[in-house]
Parts: sequence; structure tokens; C-alpha cells
Amino acid sequence: MKNTINQAFHSPKFVFGFVIFAIMLCLAILVPAFSKADPLAMQAAACYRPGTYFSIADAIEAKKYNLKMDIKSHRFDKTLTQEDKDSMVEWLVKFGNVEESEIPADAEEFVVFWINNYKDIKIKGLTNAKKQYYRKLTAKLSAMLKTSDIVIAGEDPDTGELIEENKIEFNSFTNVNDVTVRKTFLLGTDNFGRDEFIELCHAVGTSLKMGLLAGTIATIIGLILGLLSGYLGGIVDDIIVFITNLFTVIPSFVLIILISFSVDQSARGVLLVGIIIGATSWTWTTRSVRSQVISLRNRDHVNMSKLSGHSLIRIVFEDILPYIASYVVMAFILQISSAILAEAQLSMLGLGPATTKVATLGLMMNWAMSAQTPLAGQWWAFLPVIVSIALVAFSLNLMNTGLDQVFNPQLRD
Amino acid sequence: MKGYKKYYLTKIGWYLVTLLVALVLNFILPRMMPGNPVDAIAQSAIAPGMEQTAVEKVLADYRAKFGLDKPLYVQFFNFVFNALRGDFGISLSNYPRPISDLLKACVGWTIALQLPAIIVGWILGNVLGAVAAYIKGVFDKVILPLFMFLGNFPAFGMATVLLYIFAVYLKIAPTGGGYGYDLLPSFSWTFFKSLLAHYQLPFWSMVLITIGGQAIGMRSMSIYELNADYVKYSRFLGIKDRKIVGYVFRNAMLPQITGLAMSLGTMIGGNIVAETIFNYPGIGSTMLKAIGNRDYPLISASTLVITIMVLIANLAVEILYGLIDPRIKAAQQDT
Amino acid sequence: MGKIMLDVKDLKTKYVTRFKEDVYAVDGVSLQIEEGKSLGIAGESGCGKSTLALSLMGYYFAPLHYMSGSIEVDGRNISNMTPDQVRKSILGTEIAYIPQAAMNALNPTQKIIRFLEDVIHAHDPKVSKKDIYDMAKERFEILGLPESVLQKHAVELSGGMKQRTVIAISTILSPKVLIADEPSSALDVTSQKMVIKMMRDLMEKGFIKSMIFITHELPLLYNVTDDIMVMYAGQIVEKGTAKEMVFDSLHPYTYGLMGSIIVPEAGTRDVKLTAIPGTPPNLKRPPAGCRFADRCKYATPECKAFAPAMKDIGGGRAYRCSMSLEQLKEVYGRD
Repeated sequence: MKNTINQAFHSPKFVFGFVIFAIMLCLAILVPAFSKADPLAMQAAACYRPGTYFSIADAIEAKKYNLKMDIKSHRFDKTLTQEDKDSMVEWLVKFGNVEESEIPADAEEFVVFWINNYKDIKIKGLTNAKKQYYRKLTAKLSAMLKTSDIVIAGEDPDTGELIEENKIEFNSFTNVNDVTVRKTFLLGTDNFGRDEFIELCHAVGTSLKMGLLAGTIATIIGLILGLLSGYLGGIVDDIIVFITNLFTVIPSFVLIILISFSVDQSARGVLLVGIIIGATSWTWTTRSVRSQVISLRNRDHVNMSKLSGHSLIRIVFEDILPYIASYVVMAFILQISSAILAEAQLSMLGLGPATTKVATLGLMMNWAMSAQTPLAGQWWAFLPVIVSIALVAFSLNLMNTGLDQVFNPQLRD
Repeated sequence: MKGYKKYYLTKIGWYLVTLLVALVLNFILPRMMPGNPVDAIAQSAIAPGMEQTAVEKVLADYRAKFGLDKPLYVQFFNFVFNALRGDFGISLSNYPRPISDLLKACVGWTIALQLPAIIVGWILGNVLGAVAAYIKGVFDKVILPLFMFLGNFPAFGMATVLLYIFAVYLKIAPTGGGYGYDLLPSFSWTFFKSLLAHYQLPFWSMVLITIGGQAIGMRSMSIYELNADYVKYSRFLGIKDRKIVGYVFRNAMLPQITGLAMSLGTMIGGNIVAETIFNYPGIGSTMLKAIGNRDYPLISASTLVITIMVLIANLAVEILYGLIDPRIKAAQQDT
Repeated sequence: MGKIMLDVKDLKTKYVTRFKEDVYAVDGVSLQIEEGKSLGIAGESGCGKSTLALSLMGYYFAPLHYMSGSIEVDGRNISNMTPDQVRKSILGTEIAYIPQAAMNALNPTQKIIRFLEDVIHAHDPKVSKKDIYDMAKERFEILGLPESVLQKHAVELSGGMKQRTVIAISTILSPKVLIADEPSSALDVTSQKMVIKMMRDLMEKGFIKSMIFITHELPLLYNVTDDIMVMYAGQIVEKGTAKEMVFDSLHPYTYGLMGSIIVPEAGTRDVKLTAIPGTPPNLKRPPAGCRFADRCKYATPECKAFAPAMKDIGGGRAYRCSMSLEQLKEVYGRD
């Protein structure tokens, strides 16, 4: 046993898969352990992008520093895209009666030139959307040209008068560390305003647990059927092979949908979904165990055991199971990964765990899709989930391939 | 020829039995569960504050409408008989459209999308696997592992990623549907172009995730075949390597066909979910809506249609396999 | 003396293992075969006889590599040809090969006639399919194989039939030298006899001009070939006519292989090789002295220090041992 594990760790594929899996597992265990807060607590008002958020009120009060830098051109450099510049030049040449050579290259001069030449007039050949775009752009640019100080005023509770409370100079800065109230969302927030990263770590954990449950159930069913079928042979074998073939062809996807839909919605938790998936995906294990047992059945050591009058149970546990253990482990690994995929697919159709208490990878995906985050360009709401599913499946498959090469040397190249 | 006939008759017979079992499961599974779906549907027709006798009457009406007042075996024969005629009853969410109408409208879309996608993915995967085994180098060390990774994406995940990149970020593809919402189906060039544009993303997302798995299988089969004795023998008879590689890949491909048959169910299931990402007018979207509306008869009919599609695809693959692998013929002659 | 068909001088080839170690499997082999003659090569498994068979064809691909020596076929030196020249003008037409595991030597999914077409087209693409069919049919009938075999796949043939088909395919282009590597070892006695009869027929009917027959059963060669060579650890240790080799073994290794009982009936398996204790030396690091010294019961300390050369004693007879003929007679007489 120790030797086998040692051998497995000599396979680069297995090691690579194991490392990815270990990282995912660590995230799923450590993050929830260190953040005791409810992972599904709503922390933001909507789907915000990743980054560090700090209180603006705090920033106003924070210590101010004067930095000597050309703020205006930095602003233009950061905000004015090449696309904007191109369309501005296009407008100037087409409608502003300006030669292209007259347009200044320096960002600030260019903006000033634009403000001086742009006229919000009715022009044929421009769509409304385009007109709107030029209008907005001009307003944004004029605001950026301003260098006056910003005055913060408070309302007098008695008179309703505005009283100057604080003044922020044009060139004042603050150190981010001086702003005390901050919140970092590594992966932003989802459409319910939950911290996507924390939620994702919990979801990976839940999905893995669900996969483990489904995998265990499928492996136990598959192992028992495979052993019976392979060892007993005869009519039992015929029946089990027939049933296995049936359920290989009838898609388990369909069975899962039918069962999930028929189950009372209130009962359909993560646990039950895991059981449903496990109970419908044992065919691979059965096939693999059966063929291994058949090749073992007439080996000398099994025959010796039979002649010695050992009981069926003893033969199975002592003379058969140790020899097929590696295949069972491999099938088990694949079962986990396919169960996680199955849960995700089921949840996408709205038949996943009917719960709002825990997140699974599939549910997170379902929430992200029903909020139409891809269309809104909110990649952080779905991309990390998809990549997590792919990484978990990839790492498990790699480990399986690595083990396969260790146990079946003819596959090595 | 006699061997072949027997082979095919056995296969077809076996698939008919499988179909029967699928019908039974489709019929019995929902009925085995606690709670009667028809009663749940009937609840929507019961106004609050209705008298008990009126409620009973509504329930009885609904039960009679769905045939629940008859014994189970009669219900089953009615169900099978109707299903074979293509009659799946009336949709609840699209009342009073017959389910067969709804399914007829979407099955074509699903087949037109998935059949080419699975075949193209299978072919590309086999080519990549063969090239990785024979030429090695960058194909074996970079491209194959990349597709192996992509192959672990769920179909809907790949669909979402492509949707975001090409439709939302780059804006070079439509975001969903089967054709432009401003068009009506016709045999015009504009319609065809729109059809094609809407086809790209769902198609490629299905192809991309199929390649990896097929390529790994093909690679190991090719390596196994490249070391076979007939390769050495053919070489020493002076046959060109290119020709021998042809033998090898043909033989390596044969188990890949059986492999495809084994994974068709999983593939089709995954792809059906991917359809919903693009709102593609196939079975996936129909089923998603049906689940959302708790349209029980429509879900049941959809799953049955999916099962039948998978069964037919499997049977087709097995028949094809019997035709191109002479070992099947030889095995038949022995018995 | 007939025309010399194959003339090999001091041929050395090596295997390069996965771990980049060299295995010197053929270490300085020289041999000659005249037209109409057959040569048997015998030795334990792992002595390099199969590698010699492959090396003689002058067509090398990893892991087998050519090191030095010359091979002349009917006066043409093939060791300085490019691999493609060898493939096109030597393999199949000048030298043909019958592999060890003929069971798997044929592509299972190809019809025999298609394979024959490929073999012939590899050397002359202009021959029409009809001509090939007619020619193959005629040749198969002469060799006692039914015409129907041509239209079958390898999987449809029985073991003995497969072996004979392989022999017929190998010799279809009437090569000058036929190299058969254990062509009969995996067969039952009846099939074995048929194979040997077929090889004789080939010689008599002039389909092959000379033959090398490789086996691990030295006594089997007695009724099959004219001359015999015994190979040990990559080198020839003794050569002579079949009769001399069997009844008057000189080298202690040959002597050991023959044991004491000699029942030289072709094809019988009554003769069990007397096991010689010990194992052959590691060919990654061949010993400095006589390679057989570790297993030789007559070895002296000098044997382990100095490698003996081949001693030619006239009449085509030679042996590789430091002892003289008289010394050998004496030690064998003592037993």
C-alpha cells in the first residue's frame, strides 16, 4: 500500500493533479476556517467588481499629502482611450472643418482643442447614440480640466444652510493606508452583494463533499454489483450485465432530472442531490470491477482459497479486494469529478439543491446566469466558478490518469 | 452476411428493450415520489376559499384529464401508446399547445447543433491524439494538455466563457437565440447568415470541450497500435511509413467509436445544458422553461425525447462499428 | 560452389534502451549463404538471434542502430544505402522476413489482398490490382492456400492458416534471401510440419533462393537447413553443416544445447533442451574474456581473461573456444 502511494507520486501527472487538488482543497478548508462570518451574508448592494473599496467619507477626513505631479495629463492618459481619441479626430475632421495636421498631439492640448472646436449641433449622418456619446465625453473632459478645489459642505440642522466643513485642494492626496474603513473583495461581489471569493471557497467545499458522497454511493453500489456479477457468474452475471448495459445507454442525466424534479422541492438539499447522483452513476464502476474480478476469479491464489474452504466473504476481502483496490480507487476519483459536474448541470437547469443556505458551484453558476452577469460583463461572477469546476475536474482526472499509468505499465510511453 | 443480420437484429432488439425500460422509468419515476404532480398542478386552479366539495371536484377533474383515475397499468399503456403516436398531451405553461408541437419545434435545432458538434469534436480530437502520438513535440507537450484542460470545462461553462469573450467583450457574435430577433425564418441569404452567426458560439463551445477527452484516448490507442507487431512486419516488407501510419490510425480509431457510444449520453446531456446559455431554441431551453414553470408533462416528454435521441445515436454508432470493424463479423461467424 | 546470395562481414548493431544505455546485441557476426542453401541459426532467447534477423535487412529504426560491418545481397552492398533505398529496392524483393509472432503480424482490420496490393505497390506502384490478384491467386494455390483467403481479414483465419499466409505474403516478390524468425515455435505439431514443408516447397519451386531459419530449438534445424550456426551473447560460437553440428558439436555451448540424447526427427518435441546452468552475460557490458566462460564447466582462468577468436578448421567449420579439437574430444570423452 505504502509502495503504491510512493509509486503514484513518481508519476508527474499524478503529482501535478494532486497539487492542484490540494490547493483547491486548502482554499475550501482554510478560508472558511479563518472567516467565521456567514459566507452568504450580503455585503454589497449589487454585483461589484473585484478590488479594494474604502469609505469616501473616511478618505475626506484622512490625512492629506501634497504630491508634485501633473494631475491633469495623468487623468487624460488614464481615461482617454485610443478609441475615444480616434472618434474625436474623426468628428473634428468630418464636421469641425479642421485639418488633421492642426490637431495637437499632447493629451491636454488636444482636450482643450476639442472643447474649443466641438459644437453640439444637429448633424446629419450621426446616429443618436453617437451624438449622445460625444456629448457625454465632452462633459467628462471639461470636468477633468477643472483645477479648482472641492468644498465639502454640511447642512446646518436648524437653518438648512450649507456650511463649509472641509476643503480638498486640487492636488491633495491621501495614503490608502490612512483610510481606516476598507473592504477588499478579491473576486468582487455577486449579484446578491456577497463576497464572491469567500462564497466560492465555501462552494468548492460543499461541492467536494457532495461529490464525495455521490462517489462513495456510486462506488459502493458498483463494487457490490461488480463483485457479485464477476465472482458468481451465471444468471446473476447475466442479469447484472443486462441492467448495467441498460443504464449505460439510458443517460443518467435524464434519470437525475426526472428524480430531482419528482422529489418534493423542500426536501431537495445538497445531501439528497448527492444521493440521487450517486445512485444513478454506478455503471462505470460495475463494469470495471466486473472485468477485473473475472480475470482474478480463476487465479491460483483464489482457487487455493476456495479449496481451503474459505467463506465467500473471506475470499472477497482477502483474495479479491486487495487486487482490484486500485481500479476501485480510480473509478472513485472519476465518480467524484463527474458528480460535481452533474450537480452543476442540474443546478443550471434549476433542479439543483433547492436551498439558499449554502452555495454549491452549480448554484453559484445558476445565480450568476439568472442575473445575466455575462451579458453585463461581470466576469468575476461566473468565470472563477467555471474555472474552479474545471480545475477540480482536471486535477481529479490527472490523478486518475497518473494512477492508470502506474497500474497499467503498457500505457507508459 | 448471415452473421451481420443476426448481429444487427440482436442489437436492434436490445435497443427496443432498452427503450421499453426507458419508457417505464419515465412513467414510473415521477409516480413513485411522494406527492402527486397532478394535484400540485391542480392547486393552481383552486381559488382560495373554495368549498371542500368544489376543491374535490377540481382535483377529480384534473385527475381524470391526466388519466390518473384509471389503474396504473392502464395509465402506462395509454402513456406508451400515446407516446408512440407522438402524443405527449398538453403543455401546462403553454396551454393549450400540444407538447408534440413544442418539441417538434426544438428537436431539429438540438440535432442540427449537436450532431455536427459531436462529430467535429470527435474528429478533431482523434486527429490531435494521433498527431500527439506520432509527431509528439509541441502537440504532445503543449496542445494536448491544453485541450485536456479545456475538456474538463462543463459544456455550459465553456459556453459562458465564449459568450463573454466573443459576444460581450469583443462584440463579434450575437449573444443568443437561433437567429436574429428581427428576422423570420425564410430561405433568404440574410436569414442563413444570421443562422450561421448564431450557430458559431454554441457549436464551438461543444467542439472545444469534446476534443481533449477524445484526443487522450486516441493518443494512448495510437501508441499501443504503433508498437503492434503488424507495424514492424509491414515495415520489413518495404511498405512506406506513411501507409503504415494509415493502418495504425484506422485501428486506433475503432475503439474510439465504441468510446464515443459510451459517452454519448453524458455529452448530449451536457450540451443540452449549454444550449440554455445561448437561449438556443433547442430542447435545453425548452426544458429550462418547463422546469421554471413546473410544466410537468413537458419535462417528462423532453426527457423521453432526449433518451430516444441518445438511444438512436448509440444504435447508429454500433451499426457503423459493426460495418467497419471486421472483428465483429469474425466474432459472429464463430458462433 | 553456387553464387553467394548473402555475404555479411563483421556486422555490429546495438539497441539503445529507454535509459540511453547501449546493448550490443549483434557483436561482429559474419556469415555467407550460397544460392539454393539454407542456414539455421540457433541459440537461447536473448542471445541476439532475433536482433540479428532484423540487422541483416539493413533497415534500422530506433531503438536498433547500425554500428559497423557490411551486408552484401547478391553482390550489392546494402549497408551504405539510404533507408529509403533499402526499403524500396531491398526489402521484400531481395530480402524478405517472416516475424516471430506471425499471429499478430497481420493488420487485423485489413483484407489480405489489400495488404498484398500495398506490399507490391510499395515497390512498383504501376502494377494493376487485377494483375496482383491473379498473381496472388496463382502463388497461393501453388503453396496450397485457398483463394478465398485473399478476401478475408486476418481475424478470420486460424493460427496455422495465418502463419502460412504470412509466409506466402513475405515471399510474394520471390526474394533472394528469406529470413524466418521462429516461424513455427508458436504452432502445434501438425501446423509446424506444414510450415516447414512450405518453406522447403518455396526453395524447391525457386520462389526463394536462400533461407535463414532462426530458432531456439537446435535439433529442429537438423532436417530443415543445410548449415547451422549457434549464437551466444551476440556472437557466433560455432558453425558447420547440420549433421556436423548435431552429431559432432565442438563448442561446449553447442554440446550443452544438444544434451546427450539426439533424436533428430524434424518437428518432434521429444528433445528437451538440457538446461545449461547460469544466465548469459549482460550485453550492456560484455565480459572481456570468453562470453560463455561463466557457464562453461570446462572453463579455465585464462578463458575469463582472453576472448577466443573463431577457429576455422576447414570445410566451412569453425568454433570459438580456446581449447583445441583434441582437448575438446578429451573433455567430452570424460563425461
